[in-house]
Amino acid sequence: MNLTPERWQNAAVANTQKQDESFIPLIQVFEPHRASLPPLIPYVKEFWRRRTFAIELARFTDKAEYLGSKLGKVWLVLNPLLLAFVYFMLVTVIRGGGTSKNGLTTLAHILIGLFTFSFASSCISAGATSITTGGRLILNQAFPRALLPFSSSISAFYQYLPTIPVYLAVIIIGKIFYPKTQIPTLSWAFLWVPVIVALLAVTAFGLALIFATMNVYFRDTNKLLSYITRIWLYASPVLWLPEMLHGWHRAFLYVNPLGPALAANSSIWIEGKSPTTSELIGCLVWAVIALVFGGYFFTSRERDFAVRI
Amino acid sequence: MPDDLAIRIEDLSITYKINVDTKRTLKNAVMRASKGEKVRMRKVEAVKHLTLDIPHGSVVGIVGANGAGKSTLMRSIAGILPPSEGRIIVNGKISTLLALGVGFNPALSGRDNIILGGLASGLSREEIEAKTDEIAEFAALPDGFIDMPVRTYSSGMYGRVAFSVAVNMTPDILLLDEALSAGDASFKEKSFGRMRELCAEARTILIVSHALATVTELCDVAIWMHKGQMLAKGKPQEIVDQYLKFLDVGALPSNFEDM
Repeated sequence: MNLTPERWQNAAVANTQKQDESFIPLIQVFEPHRASLPPLIPYVKEFWRRRTFAIELARFTDKAEYLGSKLGKVWLVLNPLLLAFVYFMLVTVIRGGGTSKNGLTTLAHILIGLFTFSFASSCISAGATSITTGGRLILNQAFPRALLPFSSSISAFYQYLPTIPVYLAVIIIGKIFYPKTQIPTLSWAFLWVPVIVALLAVTAFGLALIFATMNVYFRDTNKLLSYITRIWLYASPVLWLPEMLHGWHRAFLYVNPLGPALAANSSIWIEGKSPTTSELIGCLVWAVIALVFGGYFFTSRERDFAVRI
Repeated sequence: MPDDLAIRIEDLSITYKINVDTKRTLKNAVMRASKGEKVRMRKVEAVKHLTLDIPHGSVVGIVGANGAGKSTLMRSIAGILPPSEGRIIVNGKISTLLALGVGFNPALSGRDNIILGGLASGLSREEIEAKTDEIAEFAALPDGFIDMPVRTYSSGMYGRVAFSVAVNMTPDILLLDEALSAGDASFKEKSFGRMRELCAEARTILIVSHALATVTELCDVAIWMHKGQMLAKGKPQEIVDQYLKFLDVGALPSNFEDM
């Protein structure tokens, strides 16, 4: 087939029409860059433009996961719930039962802490493998790779949502048996929950970016990650209360990227208290650090992924 | 860059390193570091100093032995692999079919895979939903398969769906890597027809194929790649003849020594 001048003109017309409807510049230039950042503004624009892909991928992946088993979704809630009871028994036995606080309060703290912690940890662990399992997709198409861990985070959020009504159900049932327990009713402080969860999600997404990149280079990162998460859980204010730390030990709470958010979250749910300024600053600082560092680490290496998958 | 060019490749080189020894794990890395060993890396020069202009509306066939750098070249045009040296300028929307199988969840239906494929290539939810039926119809899977999980598909059916997605994205530039090998004769005829349509709309197609008949039948230019270099470029029949001769007796074109 030969190129006739008419065809060139057609091409030019087709191009000018398309220029308007697309965010991406029609002319793309690919130049050498390996361990340096891709142009950031187009990257973020493309990321935003294709967010529906990440959302739908999360939705479809969940759908595929529980397609065969009706019980699948139930397990999703039952698993942390049972785990919470196990930890509750453990904590009660270790303490010998004699605490100033009521057992139900401890259970409530462990429940909400564990549910929220599993949200963060599944963001991180699913995000960590999202690149290595997305092999074919990565080899076939050019798109901001950060969409894959982002999709895992959305998926983790969908799994986190149904645990809230479960928490409420357990507390309401508990209150029937122990009417004297101090569990707060709805208050303005609860408006902080979405804020804290959002900051926690950003932190977890940033950490997922780091582990996802590491997992491309070292394929056993995700195995190591399961141990890290376990230790992380014990180091977080889930099985213990932030008030148990005194003096300089309180710094322990803030060294942990998930610490301030989990502490703030628990005090809203259990005591109906708004987060303290230091908790808020802690959440914010960790979210920014995780996103900036994780984002840099990931995007500066993502062009390398295609040859390493 | 002149307006009539779809792709301009300027002195493109792509090299990357691959690890020869062991699986890349943290454990191995620590073990090696403790013994003071170095990782044995092999440098692959997949594409070497390639310069090429492709005008709008052309159908380019790329032939060459395995490991000649054909797929690497296609990936770099798609923006998946960054150049190590040189520059690629692409004018237009790209649709690709480089790794067979769009690569989503095999438990999902063909239809779901089409939607995800469209979203991944940058279409909006409405755009892809409007196209899904058209794509499904084009793939023409036997009764009801399109709504069954992809894991129940034969490899040919899988290839048909992936191909239908790629050609129905109305791309300005379509990159196909061995995509035509999957379908049967009737589907092949249909896909040739679709590609001719695309071409008549001044869209550009690049095909990597080992089915040389495809190249002679469909393309208006052919390129022969050998060890990362472009050996020859010209009329498909001539290039294919040269390539076949090389495969037979190992004869490289006489001008290769100068390159």
